[in-house]
Amino acid sequence: MTAVLQLESITKSYGGVRALDSLSLEVAPGEVLGVIGPNGAGKSTLIGVIGGALTPNSGTVTFDGRDISKLSSADRARLGIGRTYQIPRPFTRMTVADNVRLAATNSGHHISQRELEPFVAGILERLGLTPFAEEVAGKLPLLRRKRLELARALALKPRVLLLDEIGAGLVRSETEELIAIIQSLRTEVESMVLIEHVMDVISQCCDRTAVLDFGKMVTIDETPKVLADPVVASLYLGSVAESADAVVVDEDKRAGIRASLTSLVSVATSVPGTPLLAVDDIWVRYGGLNALKGVSLSVNAGECIALLGANGAGKTTMARSLAGAVPLTSGTISFAGKSIAGLRPDEVTALGIAQCMEGRKIFGTLSIEENLIAGGLDARKHVKAERLEAVYSIFPILKQRRKNSGTALSGGQQQMLAIGRALMSAPTLLVFDEISLGLSPIAVDEVYEALGAIRDSGVAMIVVEQSVDRALGLADRAMVLGQGEITLEGKPAELLADARLLSSYLG
Amino acid sequence: MKNGISILLSRIATPTRVGPRDFIIVAVLAAIAFAVPYFAGTYQQEVGFRILQLGALAAAWNIAAGYTGLVSLGSAAFFGIGVYTMAIASNAGLPIALCVVLAAGVAGLFALIVSPALFRLRGLYFTVGTLALAEAMRIFVVNSPWFGGQAGIYLTARAPKAYDLYWIALLIAVFVVVCVLLLLRSRWSYRMQAVRDDEDVASQLGVRTYRTKLWAFGLSGALIAIVGSIQALNQGIVQPNGGFGMSWTIDIVSVAIIGGMGTKVGPWVGAVFIVLLGEFLIQFPEIHLAVVGVVLVLVIRFMPNGIWGTLTLALQKNRNFS
Repeated sequence: MTAVLQLESITKSYGGVRALDSLSLEVAPGEVLGVIGPNGAGKSTLIGVIGGALTPNSGTVTFDGRDISKLSSADRARLGIGRTYQIPRPFTRMTVADNVRLAATNSGHHISQRELEPFVAGILERLGLTPFAEEVAGKLPLLRRKRLELARALALKPRVLLLDEIGAGLVRSETEELIAIIQSLRTEVESMVLIEHVMDVISQCCDRTAVLDFGKMVTIDETPKVLADPVVASLYLGSVAESADAVVVDEDKRAGIRASLTSLVSVATSVPGTPLLAVDDIWVRYGGLNALKGVSLSVNAGECIALLGANGAGKTTMARSLAGAVPLTSGTISFAGKSIAGLRPDEVTALGIAQCMEGRKIFGTLSIEENLIAGGLDARKHVKAERLEAVYSIFPILKQRRKNSGTALSGGQQQMLAIGRALMSAPTLLVFDEISLGLSPIAVDEVYEALGAIRDSGVAMIVVEQSVDRALGLADRAMVLGQGEITLEGKPAELLADARLLSSYLG
Repeated sequence: MKNGISILLSRIATPTRVGPRDFIIVAVLAAIAFAVPYFAGTYQQEVGFRILQLGALAAAWNIAAGYTGLVSLGSAAFFGIGVYTMAIASNAGLPIALCVVLAAGVAGLFALIVSPALFRLRGLYFTVGTLALAEAMRIFVVNSPWFGGQAGIYLTARAPKAYDLYWIALLIAVFVVVCVLLLLRSRWSYRMQAVRDDEDVASQLGVRTYRTKLWAFGLSGALIAIVGSIQALNQGIVQPNGGFGMSWTIDIVSVAIIGGMGTKVGPWVGAVFIVLLGEFLIQFPEIHLAVVGVVLVLVIRFMPNGIWGTLTLALQKNRNFS
């Protein structure tokens, strides 16, 4: 059996960094190959090289026995290589149907005007996009954008499908639907390559799984064997592997972090009867849509709140309205006894609320150190230097690479940088938005370990999360948002025992 | 990259649909416009000529800029090619109709020749590149021995009457409109919009982006050259600063932006507006340009989709709420 897709000693460097280091790989006909590895291991680069968006420095890509290394990405798409993007990139001003039509009319297969409409309708139907066919793609929420990515790739009638983290940012029920879709594709697509951090997708869909690290192949084998491999567990899976030695608590390190944090957070003195943050009946309207419909919540000094909910439930709007980044339609927010509704984001930050935004939002043109300094510009020079040292002692990797560009870090390290930057303003309340999004399991472990230490320092926190178990493990109190309203509230243990939690996600 | 060009492009409104209704409307409007010389004077015909000329230029520019994202400030290069091709070819004794076709052909060839260099540039860099190209063309024509230098070339052909010019301009305007409508009906329409919105993704979906851009840029340039060739007939003399002058580029861009970039009707609305504003201010040439500039600033600030784009968006909203 000859391989459909064959990569031979591919090397791709960005500047001095080798994203792929003489990597060889074969995909057999009928196979679904999973690719996992830490953030920055070169997984997305791999898809870029196969799809033709990136030109490798050396090595060849062979498709169906033909060397396609010199072909443009358009020609590769026409030969039957379809890909999706990690962050969906729909043509936002074209309708959903036009997005699919574009791919259908530019594939290698000729399609007549008469065949086109039923073909497009069939693909939309299959991915549950029919009701939105005439909607402008830019209006779609994340989950439907991901479906549109897949719909467009399928409209090419591909022989090989490359899916880049299509499960990222989905809640459990959405992930299950995705798995069903991928499994149904096995009959019509010859082979698939899946990059994933969502282990359910890997274990349920992939025949073989490859593990990459620093652009090199660590191992490639049948999926169950790979997931049971102790090397993979220590490199990538972390606590997900649930092996006892993965959870080593270094007490000295903890004590050091605790000491550093004292200069980085302002612990509010708890005033009985008045919460630190009081949000009262806030409404936020975008265009014709109510993103928040009368949300009230309070956070006491030193408390950690988890804010959960499905995609589009209003979690990020909530975080952004606390930051002063979206105008409130009505309602009040008071922080430490002062009303902050209507203040600019910088004024809110000056009062002591720091944000660790969704998508990390690292300044790519600034160095790591400059990124950190940008988080606390108001402080005096010696205070700034002191805080910088404290952040460096919590995240030593940032100090090692302090002169590098902020985006030259791996995903997990960038998230650490974002946390460090938020700490630089010595906040009283920290808001973390989707902190585990797109991170490898072991990187999530590291980030949550830091979050645990920050919580223990006594600063108040709001953790907005998709990853329910992680957030509930950290929080003192949790709330579930559904369609702009708080649908459920309680202690983490109560919520975990409550079946309504799951159903509020589905709704 | 969030520069001025991408902000302008991000403001282009909704996708455009073209149906048989559009062709009927064009036919009716063309029939009405055809009758104008029978009951209007020379002055009205000249104003009409100017509206048709600017509208056709802006609509042609819109193919590349509005639909494909190739915001060019090099329109003067194509316009000048049209002007000079007409002058040289008609002086050589070729029939006028053939000269017009030749103008389009030379402009298309020119697009083909400059595209390998220009299409390496994206966004704002492309825009600046086209600006430099037009200026380079002007200087080339001034300094080379074949085009009459600064003094230019006189046309030996008999100057057409005002109504003849008007009808020729009408014919060309209708031709440009039909080209745009047919283009928007075809599969090229999706390809162009895809290239405008995200070139990398378009390529990954099988769109041959270079070919798409060349097609849009070449067609846009050829249509601009056709309008330019008529301008040569209108003037009777062609000169580098008139043919390759920046003022054409600026007129085209302001007409398209005020009317509404990336819309079918916008360029024509903009042309009517700009020409009538010019006639209204004809007594005050010293403030004319200033007023146009202020209007342009106000439109960009308060009606980012242009007059037509803003109107259609408002109508769509009303329909959604009713």
